[in-house]
Amino acid sequence: MKKFNIILIIICFLILFIFLNKLVAPKYQTDLVEGHMISEYYKEEKNHEVIFIGDCEVYANFSPMVMYQDYGITSYVRGTSQQLIWQSYGILKETLKYEIPKVVVLNVNSLRYSEPVSEAYNHLTLDKMKWSKEKLDIIKASMLEEESIFDYIFPIVRYHSRFSKLTKEDINNMFTDNNVTYNGYLMNKNIKGVTTLPTKKKLATYTFKDNVVSYLDKIKDLCKENNIKLVLIKAPSVYPYWYDEYNNQIIEYANKYDLDFYNLLEKADEIGIDYSHDTYDGGLHLNLYGAEKLSTYFGDILKNNYDLTDFRLDDNVSSIYNQKLYMYNRDKGDE
Amino acid sequence: MNMVLLILSIILIATFGLSNLIYILISATTTYFAARAKKHKKLAFIGTIILNVGILVFFKFVTYNNFFNLIDSKNILVPLGISYYTFQVLAYLIDVYKGKIKAVTNFKDYLLFVFYFPYLIIGPINRYSDLSKTLYKKKKLEKDNILNGLVRITWGLFKKYVIAARIGLIVTTITSNLDYQGAYVLLALLLYSFELYADFSGGIDIVLGFSKMLGIILPENFDRPYLSRNLKEFWRRWHISLSSWFRDYIYIPLGGSKCGNFRKKINVIITFIVSGLWHGINYFFWGLFHGIIVAFQNKPNDNCKTLKIILNFILVSLLWIFFIYPNSITAFKMLITIFYKFNYLELFTNILNLGLDIPNLIVLIITLIILVISDIKNEKIKNILYNNKDEVKLIFICSMILIVLLLGVYGLGFNTSDFIYSKF
Repeated sequence: MKKFNIILIIICFLILFIFLNKLVAPKYQTDLVEGHMISEYYKEEKNHEVIFIGDCEVYANFSPMVMYQDYGITSYVRGTSQQLIWQSYGILKETLKYEIPKVVVLNVNSLRYSEPVSEAYNHLTLDKMKWSKEKLDIIKASMLEEESIFDYIFPIVRYHSRFSKLTKEDINNMFTDNNVTYNGYLMNKNIKGVTTLPTKKKLATYTFKDNVVSYLDKIKDLCKENNIKLVLIKAPSVYPYWYDEYNNQIIEYANKYDLDFYNLLEKADEIGIDYSHDTYDGGLHLNLYGAEKLSTYFGDILKNNYDLTDFRLDDNVSSIYNQKLYMYNRDKGDE
Repeated sequence: MNMVLLILSIILIATFGLSNLIYILISATTTYFAARAKKHKKLAFIGTIILNVGILVFFKFVTYNNFFNLIDSKNILVPLGISYYTFQVLAYLIDVYKGKIKAVTNFKDYLLFVFYFPYLIIGPINRYSDLSKTLYKKKKLEKDNILNGLVRITWGLFKKYVIAARIGLIVTTITSNLDYQGAYVLLALLLYSFELYADFSGGIDIVLGFSKMLGIILPENFDRPYLSRNLKEFWRRWHISLSSWFRDYIYIPLGGSKCGNFRKKINVIITFIVSGLWHGINYFFWGLFHGIIVAFQNKPNDNCKTLKIILNFILVSLLWIFFIYPNSITAFKMLITIFYKFNYLELFTNILNLGLDIPNLIVLIITLIILVISDIKNEKIKNILYNNKDEVKLIFICSMILIVLLLGVYGLGFNTSDFIYSKF
C-alpha cells in the first residue's frame, strides 16, 4: 500500500466526516434559534462593560440596544435556554478570556435547579459554543445519564437521524450563519398576556442545594478576582413561581457578601410592565414592549450605580452601535 | 500477548458484574479438572455435566423465563454469555471423555479458551480442536489481518445499525400493538427475517473481524441461510455453531440416523424441541414445528431452485412468529390473522405510520437489496474485498464508517446497542 494513497484516502475520509458533521448539525437559524445565541458573542467587538448571564429570563427580557440608546451602556446578554448555574459559571469564565467587564449581572432563577434538566436545553446552550476547557467542564456537569460525550464532540453522533429531515437551510448555512439576536437579546413582538397567575405549589425543600451555592460562590469569587461588580437580579417573569423562601436566601447571600440584588419582579409596577400586553407567552418571558421598559428601568440603575461609560460619546463605539441600532429599529418596525 | 488477552477478557467480563466472573470461573474450573481426572473419571464427567447444565437450566428457566414462579427473579441477572461458554466447555469435556481430543494441561490456556471475550456476547460456540489452532499462536499484529478484520467489523456494523436497527423500528411498531393484524403481521415477519439475520450475522461479523485482527480464526456461523432450498438445508447454514452442537451432543447421542427411519425422525424432533427450549419456554412450538418439518424433508435438489428458496424463506419467516410476540398463544392468534385478514391496501396506505419516513424507507429498501446481493454474489464480493489492493479495503472501511455514522439507527432515544441473540 503506497503511503501517498493511504494519506489521500484518510484525508478524503476526514473531509467527508467533517462535511457530514456540518451537514447534519442543526443550524438554529429559523427553528430553535435559541441554539444560535451562544455563538454570536464570538463575532462581537469585545468592549462590553456589562455582561448578563442566566437563562431565558435574561435573553428575552433585557435589550442592550435600549440600554445603549438611552444611557450609552455597552452590554451583552450571554443568556441561553434554561442556563443552569454551572453553565453560567463556565460561560462567564469563557467570557473573561475575551474581556473583563465592569459589571456581571446574574439572573438567579436557575438556582432552583440542582441537577441537569434537559438534554435538549443542554444542546441549545452547548452546540454552538467554541471548544475550550470551559465547554468541556460544562458538558461534564450538564450531561444526563443517558447522554454520551460523543453527542457533543461529533454532531453526527447526536444528529445523524436528521439526514431525512434536511432542509435548504442545512445546505445554505453549513459554513455561514446570520445573527438572530441583538447583542444577545432575542426579540419577540408577539403578545400573549398573562391570564392566570402561577400557583404556589408546596415543595419538599426550598433551600438551594450545596452544589448550586458552590457555583454561585465560584461566580462571586471569579468576579472578585477580576475586580468585577457582581449584580444579582430576579427578572420580572411571572412563571415559574418565585418563592419568598428563594428570595430570602438570595437577600441573605447578597448581604453576606456585599452584593447588590434587585428583585425586578417586585418592581413590575414601577417599571411599568403591563402583563396583559407585555409578554409573548402568558408571563414566562417579556415581549419586545416589556423588554424595552425593563431595559430602560434597569439601564438607569446600572448607569447611576456602577460608574459606566457613556459610549455614545465614543466615535468608534458609537459607529458600531449606531449600525446595530439601525438594524434593531428596522426589525422592530420603527424604520 | 495471550496473557494480556486473558487479563483483558477477565476485566471486560468483570465490568458486566463480578458475579459473571464467578460463574464462568466455576464452569472453566470444573470442566478443566473433570477432563483431567484420572480416578472416577465417569463420576467426574457426569457430575460436571450435571453441575454446568444445572446452572444453565437454573438461569435460563428458573430466573430468565421465571418458569415455575419459584423465586423472585427480578434481582437475579443471567450471567453474561452463559449459554455460549457452557456449550463450549461441555463440548470440550465430552470430546475429551470420548477421546476425540486430549485434555488441556495448561490451566491458563484453558482459561483463555473459555474466557476469550468476543464470543461471549453472541457466539459463535467454539470447539477446542478448531479454536486452539490459532488461539495460542504467537500473536503479532499484521497489516492484512487488521485490514481484513476491519472490513468484516465495519460490514457487521452496517448490517447491525443500518439494516437491522432500522427494520426493528417497523417490527416493534407492529408487534407492540396487537391491532396490527393480517398483512401487518406478514410484513413484520418478512422484515424480522432480515432483521434477525442482519443483527445476528452482523454481530458475528464483528466478533470474527475482531478475532481476525488478532490472528484468531473463529468458525463461520452463517452460510447465506436464506438461499436454502428447504429447512433441512437452512439448518446447515443458520447459526451453524449451535446447530452442529445440537447435532453432535444431542442428536447423535440419541442415536442419530443409525437407528431406523422412525427413530431418526423422533431424534430430529427431540433435538429441535431441545433447541427451542434452549431459546425459552415460549419457543417450544417453534422448535417442534422446525423439528417435524426437517424430520420429513430430504436433501433438496436444484429443480425450481428459486421458487424453493422463496417458499422456504416464507416458511422460515412465518415460524419466526414465536420470536416477535411475547408468548405462544399470542403468536398463534396473530399468525392466523395472516390467513383471513386481507388488509394489504390498508397496510400500503398506512406504511408511513409504522416508524419510518420516506427517506428512511428508501434507505431500508436500498440496504436490503445490498444485503441480498451480498449473499447471492458472496464469493465474488469476497474476492473483490479480500483479494484486492489494500487501498480498496481501506476505502471500504472508511465508507462503511461514514455510512454507519450517518444512516445508522443508534444513540439517544434508540435502544439498539444490544444484539437480539445476546438474550439467549
